[in-house]
Amino acid sequence: MSRSLKKGPYVDPKVFRKVQLQIESSRNEPITTWARSCTVVPEFVGRTFMVHNGKIHVKVFITEDMVGHKLGEFSPTRTFRGHGGKGGKK
Amino acid sequence: MPRLLGVDIPNDRVAEVSLTYLYGVGPKTARDLCRKAGVDPRKLARELVEDELGRLAALLERDYTVEGPLRRQVNQNISRLRDISCYRGQRHRRGLPVRGQRTRTNARTRKGPRKTVAGKKGVKDLR
Repeated sequence: MSRSLKKGPYVDPKVFRKVQLQIESSRNEPITTWARSCTVVPEFVGRTFMVHNGKIHVKVFITEDMVGHKLGEFSPTRTFRGHGGKGGKK
Repeated sequence: MPRLLGVDIPNDRVAEVSLTYLYGVGPKTARDLCRKAGVDPRKLARELVEDELGRLAALLERDYTVEGPLRRQVNQNISRLRDISCYRGQRHRRGLPVRGQRTRTNARTRKGPRKTVAGKKGVKDLR
């Protein structure tokens, strides 16, 4: 067992509390967060998060397959608009 | 040539090496297989008797994922990453390296042959 497994998944406490509150009150509105390093746990499934990408909050709907990944993996931080263009550089 | 698991016909090399011609069997697994099946790893594959092949096949069938099923498994894992549109999935879609390698240079395995851009000159020429 690797060290990272021993330590268990990192779940941002604030995000987790918010999810718990939503489960209790059976509401489901997007949770805005900056916690990109927060692991997706089964409780998150079916909820929507607004994950910050450094500029805006990207809407992420969590499905069952996403469990075990980090929130940040679904909110790309770079936009690639292609190389070159008409005539290229001068 | 002996046949193992249907299509695969490792040639006239020693058993240990011959087994690595199966997709999903490397040197380590091949050695383990020989030991578990009680086959001399130094014996040429063509000299393997029916019984030995049977034992190897049974072991592979029971404890290992190789060939078709393994390929399918790998593809499924990749398509799962694609479907959830996570960072790794995006990299797979674009055919770029997935594990954070540099792409400014190299990365030719993923990107394929160089595509030379016409009219693009070196930095010196731009000044």
